[in-house]
Amino acid sequence: MKIHQHPELLDRLAASYALGTLRGQARRRFEAMAREQAPVRAAALIWQSRFSSINELQPDVAPAPAVWTRIENLVLAEREQAALQAARAKAAAQSENDKRWSAWLRSLTVWRVASAAGAVATVAAVTVGLNLRQELGSEIAKLQTQLQATPQIEYVAVLADDKAAASMLVTFDPKNKKLTLQRVGGYQEASDRSLQLWALPPSGGPKSLGVLTNDKLLRLTAGENDVREVPTLAISLEPKGGVPSETGPTGPVLFKGALIQKML
Amino acid sequence: MNADHPDAKLIALLERIALKDQAALKSLYDECAGKLYGLALRVVSQREFAEDVLQEAFLNIWRSAPDYSASLSPPMAWMGLIVRSRALDLLRRRAAERTHLTQEIDETLADTLEGDGPTPLDTAQASEQAWALNQCLGRLDSKQREVVNLAYMRDLSHSELATQLQLPLGTVKTWIRRGLDQLRLCMARFA
Repeated sequence: MKIHQHPELLDRLAASYALGTLRGQARRRFEAMAREQAPVRAAALIWQSRFSSINELQPDVAPAPAVWTRIENLVLAEREQAALQAARAKAAAQSENDKRWSAWLRSLTVWRVASAAGAVATVAAVTVGLNLRQELGSEIAKLQTQLQATPQIEYVAVLADDKAAASMLVTFDPKNKKLTLQRVGGYQEASDRSLQLWALPPSGGPKSLGVLTNDKLLRLTAGENDVREVPTLAISLEPKGGVPSETGPTGPVLFKGALIQKML
Repeated sequence: MNADHPDAKLIALLERIALKDQAALKSLYDECAGKLYGLALRVVSQREFAEDVLQEAFLNIWRSAPDYSASLSPPMAWMGLIVRSRALDLLRRRAAERTHLTQEIDETLADTLEGDGPTPLDTAQASEQAWALNQCLGRLDSKQREVVNLAYMRDLSHSELATQLQLPLGTVKTWIRRGLDQLRLCMARFA
């Protein structure tokens, strides 16, 4: 049927198609006609565009300020991840071992400059050995002194696996005593296992901060004393429901990373 | 386009974001987050989910800003579609995970149907087309308007609308048909 010779019917079908209420067989027939006949395609596009204005007609609502912080942290983590991968590809291209090693250090210098500029810092810390970890430590100490003057401090950690792939983004808001965990990698524990978050204080054993659910985003309550001056957070794989804090982790540590303070 | 037009500002920001300018992303967020969050909230109806949608949408904008120019859409329309599509994804995921979702939606839909009158439009940011659609929706009977709105916002079929609104299927079909007929006549005048 030359449907464009029936403009009213075409308009009606195109409007129902774009609204989404044209379903099933009727929708498939309309789609087939649109592929063959340009006027049908045009009518559908016009109505899709008209209805998409409904998106603009919704009243403004202010989102919680934490949303921007989360977006910013994820963007930073993504950029660092990309930089790291680029650096690794470059390093892999170098044949000699020591050359590769110096390329590593160069790339990491770049990376550390970025982190000092306010980035979420720690994706690579796990892979780079003691020297660098000490340097990072002093970098963080410097940052912390800078930040001590400002009243609003937030804590951020990117927990990474042994290949330095970021898997978990942790932020801590001391004001509201809220730890927010966000899964950023594709890791999924088995259904009879749970991931458990630990603070690794400089002295004493690991202290459990809570057990993770399957949600992409998870909020835990923690006091600032549990988190302040803790250099490292780690996530271990435990039996379903986790283990008591006194026991300490019983399974392998899958992800860990340094905790840094960050200005909001 | 006039350089003072809000679209020009948003397009300039999207061009900078395409070059991975993070400050531009922040400016875009400051300009648009309220509008886009309002939209997400309308689709998913719970603040926490709407925040996740907004977050995913902005990461999406960050990654796909280089594709914006190919879309030929006004910037708010382009971003609105990203938010809507993320929000509908979340609704589908949740529907698959939890069967009692329908009930949650019922309650919010009931609230929505009580709310009357056309949405007040922030004319500073709205496109001409949004203004026209707002005019035409405003002329519909309130029930027709809300059913058309919901069908689009949550991508619902006649029978899904009937189930969730606890209305007879015939009633929903009639409201949608009459609503669409009037909308077609009205929008034709703006074309």
